[in-house]
Amino acid sequence: MIELAQNIIDGFGRGSIYALLALGVAVIFGVMHLLNFAHGELITVSGYVTFWAISAGWSWYIMVPLIIFTAVATSLLIEFVAFSRVRGAGDFTLLLTSFGVHFVVSAIFLLYVSASVKTFNRPGWVTNTYSVGSLNVEVFDTVVIGVTALALLGTTLLLQRTMFGLALRAAAADFDTARLMGVRSNLVIRGAFALSGFLAGIAGVFWLMRAGSTTPTAGIDPMLKGVLAALIGGLGSLRGAVLGGFTLGLAEVLLRSRLPDSVAGLTEGVVFVLIAVLFIFRPQGLLTVAHAERV
Amino acid sequence: MFPDLRRDVAFPLVGAVGIFIAVVAGGALYQGILGGAAERLVTIALIDAIIVVGIQIYVGNTGILSFGHIGFGAIAGYTFAVLAISPEQKAGRIPDAPLGLADVAMGPWPALAIAVLVTVLVAVVIGIGLARSGAESGAVAATVITLALLFVTHEVARNWPELTGGDRAGLSFSIGGALDSRIPIYGALLLAIVIARLYRQSRSGRLAVAAREDNLAARAMGVNPLVQQMVALLISVAVVSVGAGLRVYENGSILPDNFFFDLTLVTLVMLIVGGRNSVTGAIVGVVVMTAGRELARRLGQEGFEIFGLGLDGAPLDWIFRENLQTVFLGVAMLGFMIWRPSGLLGDWEFDEWLRRRLARDDKTEPESRPPTKAEATDVLVADEVSVSFGGFQALDRAGLSARAGEVVGIIGPNGAGKTTLVNVVTGMVEPTSGSVTVNGTDLTSAPPFEIARNGLVRTFQNLRLFNSLTVRENVEVSTLVARSHRGERDLPTVDQLVAAAGLWPHRDRRAGELDYGNSRRLELARAAGMVPTFLLLDEPTSGMSDTESLAMIEQVRGMADLVGAGAIVIDHDLNFITGICDRIYCLDQGRVIAEGTPNEIRADPVVQSAYLGTAAAT
Amino acid sequence: MLEVAGLTTRYGAISALRQATLRVGSGEVVGLIGPNGAGKTTLLASIAGLLSPSEGTVTFEGADITGQPPEKLLRAGLALVPEHRRIFVDLTVEENLKIGGVTVTPADRAQLLEEMQELFPVLRARFGEAAGHLSGGEAQQLAIARALMSKPRLLMMDEPSLGLAPVLVDVVFKLIESLRASGRTLLVVEQNATRMLEVADRAYVLRSGEVVGEGTASELAERADLFDTFIGSRE
Repeated sequence: MIELAQNIIDGFGRGSIYALLALGVAVIFGVMHLLNFAHGELITVSGYVTFWAISAGWSWYIMVPLIIFTAVATSLLIEFVAFSRVRGAGDFTLLLTSFGVHFVVSAIFLLYVSASVKTFNRPGWVTNTYSVGSLNVEVFDTVVIGVTALALLGTTLLLQRTMFGLALRAAAADFDTARLMGVRSNLVIRGAFALSGFLAGIAGVFWLMRAGSTTPTAGIDPMLKGVLAALIGGLGSLRGAVLGGFTLGLAEVLLRSRLPDSVAGLTEGVVFVLIAVLFIFRPQGLLTVAHAERV
Repeated sequence: MFPDLRRDVAFPLVGAVGIFIAVVAGGALYQGILGGAAERLVTIALIDAIIVVGIQIYVGNTGILSFGHIGFGAIAGYTFAVLAISPEQKAGRIPDAPLGLADVAMGPWPALAIAVLVTVLVAVVIGIGLARSGAESGAVAATVITLALLFVTHEVARNWPELTGGDRAGLSFSIGGALDSRIPIYGALLLAIVIARLYRQSRSGRLAVAAREDNLAARAMGVNPLVQQMVALLISVAVVSVGAGLRVYENGSILPDNFFFDLTLVTLVMLIVGGRNSVTGAIVGVVVMTAGRELARRLGQEGFEIFGLGLDGAPLDWIFRENLQTVFLGVAMLGFMIWRPSGLLGDWEFDEWLRRRLARDDKTEPESRPPTKAEATDVLVADEVSVSFGGFQALDRAGLSARAGEVVGIIGPNGAGKTTLVNVVTGMVEPTSGSVTVNGTDLTSAPPFEIARNGLVRTFQNLRLFNSLTVRENVEVSTLVARSHRGERDLPTVDQLVAAAGLWPHRDRRAGELDYGNSRRLELARAAGMVPTFLLLDEPTSGMSDTESLAMIEQVRGMADLVGAGAIVIDHDLNFITGICDRIYCLDQGRVIAEGTPNEIRADPVVQSAYLGTAAAT
Repeated sequence: MLEVAGLTTRYGAISALRQATLRVGSGEVVGLIGPNGAGKTTLLASIAGLLSPSEGTVTFEGADITGQPPEKLLRAGLALVPEHRRIFVDLTVEENLKIGGVTVTPADRAQLLEEMQELFPVLRARFGEAAGHLSGGEAQQLAIARALMSKPRLLMMDEPSLGLAPVLVDVVFKLIESLRASGRTLLVVEQNATRMLEVADRAYVLRSGEVVGEGTASELAERADLFDTFIGSRE
């Protein structure tokens, strides 16, 4: 029982980061119908910035805003160079464009940066724990869950209560008509990428704090988690992305603790199989209502 | 299976041989210039071509982006390796292999055959999963499922060392013998090209492509996309499996990473660069990208020296590095997606070009076919149909009937439920109660393609043509289905239908290039090709001027009479409706509020107040 | 107010619009009629900045606006109610109206919201509902109200009666009449030529991408060669 509670807390901790990543993916999908396979590169870039800055002696207090800034800047750069040129293209094209961006960015890192792992120091409190009854709770998880809740709340308010959020949702629904309303759709899309980058930056801070290292291919894992979580929740729904993130986090932790040791290495594989099964029976994801066909 | 032997079998075979010879000659030339080092490169390129052609069979014809074909390749590769390696070698690597596989001794060709079989069986399971998820062109779910396959095979290969030799060591072996010569590779490549072209030209390939162009319209023409997609998948996987097995054979080893993201990227980029809708394109893509990669690799290693210029490329050294190939591939992928998503060749095929140049088009416009008498007993009945969406009652015990050769109209205000009623009759919406029967057959819960096969064929308010197919090919789709499912009727030919629609001069033009009037006529002709019992036309005059609408009356009558069909028409254009209909139903708020001849309807006060407004005064 | 001169727009090799010229004066209601495929929508889209003309100029209140994007034109006072209405079906009626007023000050926006609900009572009734639940006629009213939220000086409408039942077509044309009565300037594309000519001051007739006729309803009625273009067999 204790173990289950422990698992749930761990799952929520992981799930929070996944939810942030998923939300970043879902926001882009909302405005451009593009599944961003390059989302993880934002964290790769942030990882190297972290490494260089910490090697130069900067403290984590400066690192946090720097990481977020890097993620936002990278997101906008990628939009400008690649995604702005395929707006309105078919789904097939969009999927492959983002796939291509992912490869080019990670390949550039492989080319110009050593493939070896770069480690850096994490803030001291990351490994601290405190007790609640007989549960051991990591300070880290608490902070993650708290910050994520704030970030999600803020994003919801932004989208539902501000004109910018309304413009974003309108542009996501119908890009051309939004322009007819006077919405500066180019700015809106850039805003979406900036928002996505911001969320990735927060996720990246926690990801890097936990990992304590980075490699040129460090971005693949967060990207997969973000994309899969967004898909699980259903791409049409921001709430779904958040739900998908927590679902994925919990599933991972519970599976890992329940699978026999001999196949523990297959946890990732099992997660994938479960996701595939979900998509076989519910291709629209958990929360999205299957749209009736427009005849 | 092949509608036109000259177009669909003879020319593709000739074309395939032509492409094959070109590739072989090109490879020989390249080797001749660059010497022995190039031999292995060409061999691998030939094998990659088999794999890419295999992927094209599925991705090109269904429009579904699959990241999983290399996962199938992994299954085939490992099956082949485990079976083909001698027991002595296995004893060293995988002595504890399950199912006693460590003791199996088998020649490479039987091993390859079994590998293909095993992989295709797995593909059946995956294919069922894809079908269940409603795979269609652009569907993200299908892509995710195939991505899952890629990951799962990779994970299993890494984490099951008893069978696969695990991650670090993998399996390596020397089989020796047959692959010293390239004959098997040549044979497999030629076969792959032939299979790919023949499939595309076959009935299944044509129907798959129709579903790729417009899934809903294809189903409304009686096509079941899931069946065709499964066929395409199995053939595709079989070809990819052969390529994968040969790859392992040639390399003499297999590691999990051999069949993961890198190979997926390489093969996908090759397919896209050449043109995913074309087999010739797939081959061209392989050639172009192989040459490009090789150039990138050499630039990466040797800098400017390769040009023999002896230049000191030092200032640009920072560009040329070891992993330039991957950047090159990624940039190629990006570049083409941004600037030329249909690839270098689009959907151009060598044998089609050859046929257009060499074969005289000796077709003259067919004589007009006399009208077909409708079966006097044909009858469609929609009875007490109710539909509620959540709390909203869209239809409330609405119904209609139509008899052979009749034209029945449905009018009513917006939101009255006209389209919902048509959607129920054609199987796109399930009613909460009521029934739909055609000639006694209950079709209430049948899916759209089955309803079409049972004689109820519809057109759409928003034009839904198969845009990259020609006018003839559009009509051909429905006639192919009709041949299998409407055989008891008197079937017109494609040419007769095209001519009757007045589209003979445009018969070889792409549907997407037609003007609006011709597009509508094509949609009508295509629907008629199913030789329906009843045509269901959803606002056929939408967007037309008054004169065009009047002309449409003749066109609809003409087509319906040609195939002996009755017609049910929804429209708002009163001149059109009163000009063409024998009887009219008027709907309002989900109920039938009036029924009668055009004059009766016009005079009905209930109809007038609900619907006609000031137009009644006209 | 609006001057279009020699406007030509191409789709690839096809000239969808050739040397189109028209004028709309302040306070006028001008119609654009003609068969489908004549280029009416292309003309409006080219003026509104959704398409780029290859030749010709568009001048609005003295300023050259040729080829400028729709976002800019709206701020200049030119609004378009697009074909098929294109309301945001997942947003509420309120949000649709608000986004129509994205370019005006918050104070103006609040006032306009009130005015629109006065002018179109059905919108007040459905204010918080998702716009996707509206019927065709209600959606048309929402689309027009949404465009009016931007305080346009020239309102363009593309086929406002398309797909509507005859009694709702009446509603639409009554609306056009009342907009005209309140001094609005309108440029309306319509396939229902007869009704359009009843409410317009002047009309231009398009066929195959070219302007083939211009004038008041009575002037056009005398052009026998244009009969088949816009007069149906209603007699």
